[in-house]
Amino acid sequence: MNERWTRALTAIAVFGVLILAWEYASTNGLLKPYKFPPPSKIARGFVELATKGFPKDLTLWVHVQTTVARILQGYVYALALAIPLGFLVGALPLLEKLTNPLIVFGRSIATLSLLPLVIVWFGTGELTKVILIGYGCFWTMISNVIAGVKYVDRTLIAAARTMGVSGLNLYWSVILPAALPRMFAGARMALGVGFMVIVGAEMIGTIEGLGALIMEARTFYRSDITIIGMLVIGVIGFLISSGLMRLERVLIPWDTGLQDVRR
Amino acid sequence: METAAAEVENRMAEPFIVFDDIRMRFGPADEGMPPVLDGIDLAFPKNSFVSIVGRSGCGKTTLLNIAAGLVKATSGEVRIDGKAVKGPGEGQGVVFQQHALFPWLTAAGNVEFGTRTRGLPKEEKRQVARDLLDLVGLGHAVDKYPRELSGGMQQRVAIARALAMDPEILLMDEPFGALDELTRIELQQELLRVWEAQKKTVVFITHSINEALILSDRVILLAPHPGRVHKDIDITLPRPRERTDPAFNEMYQEIWEGLSS
Repeated sequence: MNERWTRALTAIAVFGVLILAWEYASTNGLLKPYKFPPPSKIARGFVELATKGFPKDLTLWVHVQTTVARILQGYVYALALAIPLGFLVGALPLLEKLTNPLIVFGRSIATLSLLPLVIVWFGTGELTKVILIGYGCFWTMISNVIAGVKYVDRTLIAAARTMGVSGLNLYWSVILPAALPRMFAGARMALGVGFMVIVGAEMIGTIEGLGALIMEARTFYRSDITIIGMLVIGVIGFLISSGLMRLERVLIPWDTGLQDVRR
Repeated sequence: METAAAEVENRMAEPFIVFDDIRMRFGPADEGMPPVLDGIDLAFPKNSFVSIVGRSGCGKTTLLNIAAGLVKATSGEVRIDGKAVKGPGEGQGVVFQQHALFPWLTAAGNVEFGTRTRGLPKEEKRQVARDLLDLVGLGHAVDKYPRELSGGMQQRVAIARALAMDPEILLMDEPFGALDELTRIELQQELLRVWEAQKKTVVFITHSINEALILSDRVILLAPHPGRVHKDIDITLPRPRERTDPAFNEMYQEIWEGLSS
């Protein structure tokens, strides 16, 4: 407990000193304020964004809601598709061999490089944003579901068979629960991908959402707003990720072995 | 009609477990690899405790997996109570070297899993699980997950789980091989107690001569390349057996020489 406090205090002290140094440097001409707006200006920008909104009438709350809604849509569609497909592919070795190159390929294409093409196909509306997020989340999730199913401990399967479990029942009572920890890790990684894609996805055809906010701020030379946008995305990502981790502990309380894959 | 009658008579006369000319070969015969098992013929009476001892690579685990119905022999068959083994879950309880417990189920949940083919009502399944955990000395750990248990406790749960299906025979593949010496001795005593209480027929694989001698009525020595029965030794020493007993040491010597010749 003591050590935790010391560590927390050290972290706060380090951040405090950095912020003070930054404030000092940018108000005394060492840093150009339009490149590095002083923390005090960022704080004022935050108040403006939260009350009056930027661009006009679009408050921080509206941006956050829009962005989270877009991410969740793409994310949920991706998971709904990736979980059953991944399970099927992981369960059938032949199918896995056939689709493996495709999955590695699909996963390797940087999602945002698809942006121009997706605009041509689906326009610049909501659908394009949801599809980009979904695309990014899908490959991360399906890779993890396949791996989770494929690498189930063989002795567990043998043990279940000696107890008279066979066929589909084997998938339901053994392979699915055994693959759950890996699937959960995949779901968390996929969400991270969603947050990475969102800023790019919101750069076109909208002024709503945190990605759009960041872009709009650039056109108006409002570096302070850009920084706020970045920070808010970070905070939301952090909150959702710790929520998922808590959910994971409730849903799969038996698991400890996957701490490394969890990030 | 006559053949059916003969069959019935056969079954009456035949020992409880029969390994009938088991041959096992991985890969095609023309590749020059010796078969893993080359004509294993064994027969054990009901309620006996038989150990199969041999060096790594003599096919002991393969032999056990064939009896468990997990692996199909190239030729020959295993019969339990006159019925040829066609697959797993036909009355063979299996304990593996790795505990192979389901990490998402508690100790009680794991043991209850073993009862699933018995068609018992839910409440009775739960009672069976609790009784068996009591039997292996884990009455206090019913709600613990496998990762919260020590290696010895995990293996006790695995034994209880195998017993939960009320098997006619218990197949054990080096179940104590991964445990430390003290835990191992403890579990050997425990297993003997359980065996006497439950009257199961046990086929036990080990590479420890001591372990085979402490536990079994009979020790089968397998020789490798190709795997075959090298010696079949009855152990008539009274139980409980002491490692310090001169007669014990004599048997040890006999098996040791059998293994190294």
